[in-house]
Amino acid sequence: MSAHDHHLDGHLPHEPEKATLEGRNKILGFWLFLGAETVLFGTLFAAFIALRHQTLDGPTADHLFELPMVFAATMILLVSSLASVFAVQALHQHKVKPMIVWLIVTILLGLGFLGLEIYEFNTYVSEGHKFRTSAFSSSFYTLVGFHGAHVAFGVLWIGLLIAQIFKKGLTVVTAPKIYVSAIYWHFIDVVWVFIFTVVYLMGKVG
Amino acid sequence: MASDHAVSSDPKRRHRHEGPQKHIVAFVLSLALTIIAFAAVAAGEINMTFTYIILVAMALLQVFVQLAFWMHLKDRGHLFATMGIVFGIIVVFTMVIMALYWVWW
Repeated sequence: MSAHDHHLDGHLPHEPEKATLEGRNKILGFWLFLGAETVLFGTLFAAFIALRHQTLDGPTADHLFELPMVFAATMILLVSSLASVFAVQALHQHKVKPMIVWLIVTILLGLGFLGLEIYEFNTYVSEGHKFRTSAFSSSFYTLVGFHGAHVAFGVLWIGLLIAQIFKKGLTVVTAPKIYVSAIYWHFIDVVWVFIFTVVYLMGKVG
Repeated sequence: MASDHAVSSDPKRRHRHEGPQKHIVAFVLSLALTIIAFAAVAAGEINMTFTYIILVAMALLQVFVQLAFWMHLKDRGHLFATMGIVFGIIVVFTMVIMALYWVWW
């Protein structure tokens, strides 16, 4: 059975992202990729944890971080994760319009998060916390910036997927892409859980 | 994976759409765990070691909730996916412990 059979008769299977072998393999392959991503972020975390007290003459974590701003960023990302879960539910019910609306909500919240992060980094730099200030600052910007880059990539990716849905509609070919991008977005949120815990909250504790 | 295919090509068995309830529950749980973590730090005054334990516990719980519900890892046919991510987690813990050992001892 080719991937297009489902599409041409105008009826999608119940979980279109898992209807074809290709779709299921894509999901499995994506999880293996996330395993690798976990390792990648893990090394950055390991470096940060090892170096977080080496502030040299620069500002310390306790001095820099503002909890309300971090909390706002956390909420934005958590709600965006919920929005992408709703997008997947709409996908399962073959409701294309609500799905696109939830994906757009996800993207907008992602952009809001990025805006907040840019503002935050800007504030830190003006307080003398630059990339080369200390081992703490370098490992901080590498870890948090890397996460921010993942958010930016996710925004771009989901944006392109929305464009593709407009062009090709929801099929057994496009459904796995949407599903996998939602998994990616949740993964970004999971990484952020560790960032606000290890970097910000533990930074405040000392 | 093979059993998954057999199920999805059987039209009778798979027509129950899951509602949003369990995702809202997962959201509220995540929210509560986040607020506890922030509150523990904002309150200050608590013993430092104890605060660390709270923070790590809240983070691990929240990650578990999100992996299981939002990323559908608890759903059928996710054995190999789970193995992939668990392998990553094992490598990560090895690395973090190594880094801590290196720096602290």
